[in-house]
Amino acid sequence: MRRTVVSVLVLLMLVALLLPVGATAQKKVALTIWTKEGEAEGVLQEIIALTQEYSKSHPGVTFEVVNYGVEDLRQNFQSAAFAGTGPDLLWTVSDHAGPFTAMKLIKSVDQIFPAGYMDKFVKPGVEAVELGGKVWGVPLSVGNHLMLLYNKKLIKAPPQDTDELIKVGKELTKDLNNDGKPDQYGLVYNLNEPFWLAPWLGGFGGWPLDGTKPTLNSQAMVDALQFLHDLKFVHKIVPMEADYNAADSLFKEGKAAMIINGDWSLGAYVTDDVKKNVDLGVARIPKVVKTGKWPSPMTSGIYLMFPEYLEGDKLNAVKGFVDFLVSDEVQLRFLQKFKRLPATASALKSPLVTQDAILKGSSDQMVVGKPMPTVPEMRACWDAIRPNQEAVMAGKMTPKDAAKAMQEAAEKAIREMTK
Amino acid sequence: MALTWDVVTRGLGEIGRLIGIVAAVVIALETMAYLVLHKLLKCKYSLPLMLLLPALVGVLALIVYPFGFNVYLAFSNMNMFRFKDFSVGISYGITNLLDVFRLPVLQKVTFLQLLGRTVLWTVVNVVFHVLGGLALAILLHRPMKGKGIYRTLLVVPWALPQVISALAWRGEFHFQYGFVNLMLERLGLRPVPWLSDPRWAFVAVVLVNIWLGIPFMMVVLLGGLQSISQEYYDAAQIDGASGWQQFRSITMPLLKPVLTPAVILGVVWTFNNFNVIYLVTKGGPMEGTDLLVTSMFKAVFEFYRYGFGAAYAMVIFVFLFIFSAVYLRLSGGFKGAWES
Repeated sequence: MRRTVVSVLVLLMLVALLLPVGATAQKKVALTIWTKEGEAEGVLQEIIALTQEYSKSHPGVTFEVVNYGVEDLRQNFQSAAFAGTGPDLLWTVSDHAGPFTAMKLIKSVDQIFPAGYMDKFVKPGVEAVELGGKVWGVPLSVGNHLMLLYNKKLIKAPPQDTDELIKVGKELTKDLNNDGKPDQYGLVYNLNEPFWLAPWLGGFGGWPLDGTKPTLNSQAMVDALQFLHDLKFVHKIVPMEADYNAADSLFKEGKAAMIINGDWSLGAYVTDDVKKNVDLGVARIPKVVKTGKWPSPMTSGIYLMFPEYLEGDKLNAVKGFVDFLVSDEVQLRFLQKFKRLPATASALKSPLVTQDAILKGSSDQMVVGKPMPTVPEMRACWDAIRPNQEAVMAGKMTPKDAAKAMQEAAEKAIREMTK
Repeated sequence: MALTWDVVTRGLGEIGRLIGIVAAVVIALETMAYLVLHKLLKCKYSLPLMLLLPALVGVLALIVYPFGFNVYLAFSNMNMFRFKDFSVGISYGITNLLDVFRLPVLQKVTFLQLLGRTVLWTVVNVVFHVLGGLALAILLHRPMKGKGIYRTLLVVPWALPQVISALAWRGEFHFQYGFVNLMLERLGLRPVPWLSDPRWAFVAVVLVNIWLGIPFMMVVLLGGLQSISQEYYDAAQIDGASGWQQFRSITMPLLKPVLTPAVILGVVWTFNNFNVIYLVTKGGPMEGTDLLVTSMFKAVFEFYRYGFGAAYAMVIFVFLFIFSAVYLRLSGGFKGAWES
């Protein structure tokens, strides 16, 4: 009997000794992050490095970082969330907020962070993911905007307006080997992509949506399409065919004086290899003479979004990691390494931005940009614009007919989407 | 992601875990089947049934369930705004099905236009696959030196990942810098706007797919040719049959059991070919290279019309099912299998 009592007491003492250890030990949380960032520019590697750093200071939290292309990420998340599984954090672009909120797949920021949390971010960064009066993502970097990049080896100063663009474009489009074909272009960009039409649409005084209503059949759209058509067929300062990769290669090889490209590409144009051909300059896309307006590229950025099913320990761990990512230290690291404009107001005021010619140019362009509509109806507009823009750029449709067809197609698509 | 030791061990761990789960499920099922069929019911066929069981479960999980779920979705009004709280009913199914035929499926093109283009795409591709594959197979079947090297080289387009081939071809069709136009110009011809004109873009994707598909048909038909006994040809030669007569009366009939399933597979794959179109032109320009399957993809994944997309998928399935049934019936390709 005595032995039993002693045994029980010893056992109880052991349990008592172990209990405080168990209570204070950090819970183990394994987080999965899905990111649209790839390896090519080194961003994926940087994210993995950040997770490893965070795990060192927070030993209970481990990460798995999975990369998907932007569209794959959207589709896979929809499928995964439908089945009730998926990642714990999404590192993606703002326009995913539209479908994700319509499908009720993500939490709004106010469900996770205290009131006033978004005050530290720059306004365009917050506005880009505002839907129905709520904010649906924490911005990591703002921008994603198109701008005029130029090669100082070929052109000393960027053109200030569209007339000048055409004039210098003609001077710089050259047939160097006299084979009847240009070997150097004044300007290159992704000719048939609606995202590259958007700045000009804004510059001519239009915009694809008014709230959720398409406004594609406008004089501004006709003028913008006519302008792009003329760059190719009348002024002949752009290649006959150019997709993103073709334009990018021509510029990197020093075969194009100017390119319209996004802030995501800046890092790739200042590498040692490219510097042999390109001395990069960054400026606003030239002002439209007809309206006196600056072209307004769509701005958005990179955002962290939170799956609707995120709860408990994982939610708490994600909150801690997000705080780490939006700290000035990490924001400035991304700025220095990848030339991405930070999303927090304090980091954006850093001399690293204001005293860097490239980032200053990028920042100047961003301020005349307009937030990309995140409403799901924008999807219908993109798909309505594309085939008609292609038709104009193939010389098979007039800008006027194209604008009309875009409007009809967008309205039809929205009807089908919402019925 | 870099192939580090950590990645390898984690990957192997995940594969091992999956194999372990599959093995545990199979053992549990087999044990249950053994107890029920053999011990309890004393069934005569318990062993064959137990051997069939894993495959049956696989078919149920990988074919029957997804197919059933697609039918279920086809009778729903599921879209972006009703992703989690959609309704299911006969009326939704009828509406979805009618919408496939009565509205433009994309922005401009209708279902019938897409069907016509898909049939044209399939016929042109399969005809060239079969003719090209047959010609190469006959050439390789003859005695010659270095046959292995030729065979290896000819299989390269098929062996390369389709993504790489298709993207490489996309570059080669570039108006100014592509190999195709450079060659045309060398021959004194005008360059062709392969990727900005819808008709030429269609020709471009057809050319890419023909290039990609011939090796498969060649390998299959070469196998078929090798299975035909030389004795038939020897006897025909003694009888004085010409080369054409031998081909028509010996080669073709004896190649039929191999050719029929290969053609059916070729038709189904080509009809549903998504990769080449999407990688080379994304269906553009002006939706000029979209096929039924790419337009279905756009309806589902770009416009979030899940119910409509599921109905659309069923329509495509019905077309392919009818084709396969009719072709099998007319060609009698599987006759041997039924008779045996």
